[in-house]
Amino acid sequence: MNRSRVLSLLTVVLLVAIVLSGCQQNAPSTPAADSKSIVIVIPEDPPSFNPIIADTGYDALVMELVMLGLSDIDANGNVFPELAESLPTLENGGVVMDEDAGTMSVTWKMRQDVKWADGTPVTADDVLFTYASITDPENGGWIPGIDYIDSVDKIDDHSFTVNYNAVYTGYLTQFGGEQVVIWPAHYCDAAQGFAAWDCARQPLSNGPFVLSEWVNGDHMTFTRNENYYQAGKPEIEKISIRIVPDQSVRKTMLLNGDADLDMWTTEPMIADLEGQPNVEVSRSIENRWVMRIFFNLAAKGTTDPVATPHPILSDLRVRQAIRAAIDVDTISKEFFLGYVTPVWTEFFRTPYICNIPRPEFNPETAAALLDEAGWKDTDGDGVRECRGCETAEEGYVMEMDFITYSEYGEPLELTQQFIAEQLGKLGMKINLKIVEGSILWAASTDGGIEQSGNFDIDIWDDGYSGVDPTDFIYSYYAAASAEPDLGYNYMRWSNDEFETLLGDVYTLDEEQRKKDFCEMAAILEEELPQLLLFTAVNADAHSSRLQNVQTSANDLVTWNAADWTLK
Amino acid sequence: MIQTVGLLLLLSVFLFALVNLAPGGPLSGQGQSRHIDPDKVELLKRQFGLDKPLPTQYLIWLVGNDWMQVDSNGDGAMDGYGTRQGILRGDFGFSFRTRQPVLTEIGQRLPNTIYLTVVTMLVAVLIAIPIGIISAIRQYSSFDITVTTFSFAGQAIPEFWLGLILILVFYAWLKNPFTGDPLLPSGGMTSVDSVGFNLWDRIVHLILPVLTGALGWIAWYSRFLRSSMLDVIHQDYIRTARAKGLSDWGVLSKHALRNALVPLVTLLALDLPYIFGGAIFVETLFAWPGMARLYYQAALERDYPVLMAVLIIGAACIILSNLIADILYAYLDPRIRYE
Repeated sequence: MNRSRVLSLLTVVLLVAIVLSGCQQNAPSTPAADSKSIVIVIPEDPPSFNPIIADTGYDALVMELVMLGLSDIDANGNVFPELAESLPTLENGGVVMDEDAGTMSVTWKMRQDVKWADGTPVTADDVLFTYASITDPENGGWIPGIDYIDSVDKIDDHSFTVNYNAVYTGYLTQFGGEQVVIWPAHYCDAAQGFAAWDCARQPLSNGPFVLSEWVNGDHMTFTRNENYYQAGKPEIEKISIRIVPDQSVRKTMLLNGDADLDMWTTEPMIADLEGQPNVEVSRSIENRWVMRIFFNLAAKGTTDPVATPHPILSDLRVRQAIRAAIDVDTISKEFFLGYVTPVWTEFFRTPYICNIPRPEFNPETAAALLDEAGWKDTDGDGVRECRGCETAEEGYVMEMDFITYSEYGEPLELTQQFIAEQLGKLGMKINLKIVEGSILWAASTDGGIEQSGNFDIDIWDDGYSGVDPTDFIYSYYAAASAEPDLGYNYMRWSNDEFETLLGDVYTLDEEQRKKDFCEMAAILEEELPQLLLFTAVNADAHSSRLQNVQTSANDLVTWNAADWTLK
Repeated sequence: MIQTVGLLLLLSVFLFALVNLAPGGPLSGQGQSRHIDPDKVELLKRQFGLDKPLPTQYLIWLVGNDWMQVDSNGDGAMDGYGTRQGILRGDFGFSFRTRQPVLTEIGQRLPNTIYLTVVTMLVAVLIAIPIGIISAIRQYSSFDITVTTFSFAGQAIPEFWLGLILILVFYAWLKNPFTGDPLLPSGGMTSVDSVGFNLWDRIVHLILPVLTGALGWIAWYSRFLRSSMLDVIHQDYIRTARAKGLSDWGVLSKHALRNALVPLVTLLALDLPYIFGGAIFVETLFAWPGMARLYYQAALERDYPVLMAVLIIGAACIILSNLIADILYAYLDPRIRYE
C-alpha cells in the first residue's frame, strides 16, 4: 500500500507541475501571428549553407538569406550585382578579350559598404580566399567553369581580376547566382576545407538575415541583419524555417495561418489552394524544368549508335511518329491540372528564344509515318513488326521499354502510362518501368541505366538554372558528352554541323550567340534526339500577408527575401 | 560473447556489401540537379573514398586509413597518411550529405527518438496492461469483445492515415475555446518560439505522435497480456491461492499478474531496438526530428556512412536486446537457468 501512496503522490505532483507550467506560458502565440516574423515550411533540413556540397535546393534557400555572391539573377533572367559595384562587360571595359589567344580577363569592382555581421568589411581577399578554397584539390569543391580560370589576382582591397584560359560565357554569375557565394576569409577555417568547414553550418552573414538558431531536423531561426548594406532592408525581422516533411501537413499549416511560405508547391496543392482567401501562389515568369523524352539511338545495352544502331528508334520517322502521337494538352489538363506550359524546343527562355513552330498532335500522321518507315501490323495482333523497315530485321516486333523515375510522383507516372497507351494505340508494345532516380542516373560503373545505355525510351525533367544554356546544351548534345560517364548525351546523338555551332557559341558576341543557338534549335527540331513536351510549374505558395514574393526559375524563392514585406 | 562479436563482424561484411552493391549510388544526382558534372564526380569519389575497390573501402571503414599512405589530392602521388580511424575505434566517417561526422548526425537525432519511443511505449504499456487484465478476467464480456474489436482495428489502421486524421481533427478543426489557436500543434517537438524547457509545451507536442504510435502497441501488448493471463488464471496454483482465502485482488496481483507479465517483459525487451530506430510514419507526419527520418533520407540518397552506421548500431541493438530478454527471462522465471 505504501508504494501506491508514493505513486499517487507523484501523480499529483506531476499534475500540479503540468497545470502550473501551463499557466506560466499564457496562450502559446503562433509565430506567424507576430507582426514582423514569418514561418517557412520545408520538408527536409538543408545539409548546410553551401549548395555546392549537396545541391538539395534547401541549402540554396537558406544561403540566399544570409550570404551574398558577386551577382545574382532576378526572376526575369536579368543579372544584377550584389557584392559587385557593377557588372563587368566588354562595353564598360571590365572584360578584356585576347582574340588571338582565345582568352579573356574580367575585372570586378566590389562595393565598399558591405560588411560581415561581425563588422569586418567584405573585400577582394574574401573572393581570393573563396576561389582558393574551391580549387583546393583535396578538400575543395567544383563550380561550373572553374577549370577555365587560370588565376584570380587582387588589384586592391575592393577589386580583382579573373584570368580565363578560354572564353567563358557564364562569367557573370560564376561567383554568384543560386549556388556560389563569397565566404569570409577571417572566419572560415581553411584547414577544415571548403567541403566540410564549420562556417557552412554556422555562417557569418553578409546578407539580409543572420542565423540565430538551428535545431537539426526541427527548425532554424533567422533574425534581421542590422548591418545589412541596403538601408531600411529587410523589413521582416524574424524568419523561422520549420522542417515539416509531410506535404499535406504543410498545406494545412499554410491554410491555418501557421506557415507563410511553402517552397516548391506541386500542381495538386496549387489546385487545392486556389480560391483560398489567405493563401496565394507565386509562379515563376519562366519555367526551368522541361519534361522530356530521351530516345536511345544505340541498341539497348550499347552506347555506339553507328556500330549498333537502335533497331527501332534510329529511324527518324519513328521518332517523329512518337512525337505526333503524344497529346501534350491532355497530359497538361488531366495530370498536371492545367498548370504546365507546352514546350518543344530547348530555346524557349530569355534571352535565347527561337521561333520553332509548335508540332501538331496527330495520330493519323503518326500512323502514316510508321507505315512509311516500314513498320506494319501484318499479323493483326495490334503490334507492328518490321516489314521492309531500314533499321531492323524483317519481322522484328516494335516493342520497347519506357522508363521514368519514382521520386517525381503520381503526375509523371500517369503521364508515362498515358503516353504508353497512346503509343500502344499506334501499334507499339510498351513495357513500363519506374525506378529510383539514383538508379536511372547513376554512373555506368554503378549500373546506371542511362549511362550504360540500358534503355529504349525514358521520360523525366531537366533544365538549366541561370541565363546561360551553353554548358547545359553541351552536356546533353555534344558528341563528347555521349561517352559514358562523361556527359548526359544518353541519346548518343551527334551532328557535325551542331558541333561546329557548339564551338562557336563560346563567345561574348550576343548576336552571334542568338543566331547560333537558333540554328542549333533548327537542327534539333529536324533530328529529334530528344522530345521536349512541357515545363512543369515552378511555384511557391505563401500567405497573403507576405508580399513581394517572386518565384524564379533562376534561383530559390528567397533570392529577394530582403525585399519581402508584410501586409 | 565471442559469438556476438563474430556475428556482428559477419553482419557488417554482409551489410556493407548489400549497401554498396544495391543499384544506384551517391553520385548519380544531387537534390535538384539530375546529374553531377563528371569533374565533380571525380572529386567527390576521392573525397568519399569511393575511388578504391570495395574490399579496401570496407577495410578503411572498419579499421581506418591512418596507417596507410593515401593520395588525397588526386595527382597520383601519395600525400601522407589518411585521417580515418575506422568504426572499431569509434570513427563512423562523415555523412556524404552534410560532411558532418556520422556520430554527430546520429547524436542530434537519437535523443529525440529515444524520448518519443520511450514515452510511446510507456503509454502503450500503461494502457495495455489494465486492458489485458480486464479482458482476461472478464473473458467474453462486452468489454472484452469491444476491446478485442478495437485492438484488431488498432493493429490494422495504418499509422500514416491515423496520424493525418488526428492532425486534421485536433489541429485543423478543433480550436482552443480561450485563444482560438489550434487545440494541438501539428508537429515538432516544441513550439519554435518556446524558450528554455517548458513541460506543458512538450506534453502538448507529444499527444498526437504518442497517440498515433501507441495505438498499434496497445493493441498488440493487450492481446498478448490477455492470452498470457488466460493461461495463468487457469493454473492450479491460482486455484490454490483462492482456496487459501486470498482476496481476488491478492490473487490477481501477487500470483496471476506476476506470472503473466513474464512473457510480456521479454517481449518488451525484444522491442527495444525500436527505441533506436524510431518510427518513420510518425516522425514524418509529426515533423519529429528522429532517427527514422535520418535513416530513410540516407537510404534514398545513398548516404553510405550514415546508412551503415544506423544499420550496424541497429544490429548491435537487436543482438543486445535479445541478450537482455534472455537475462530478464531467467531473472523473472527462476525455473530457467542458462548453462
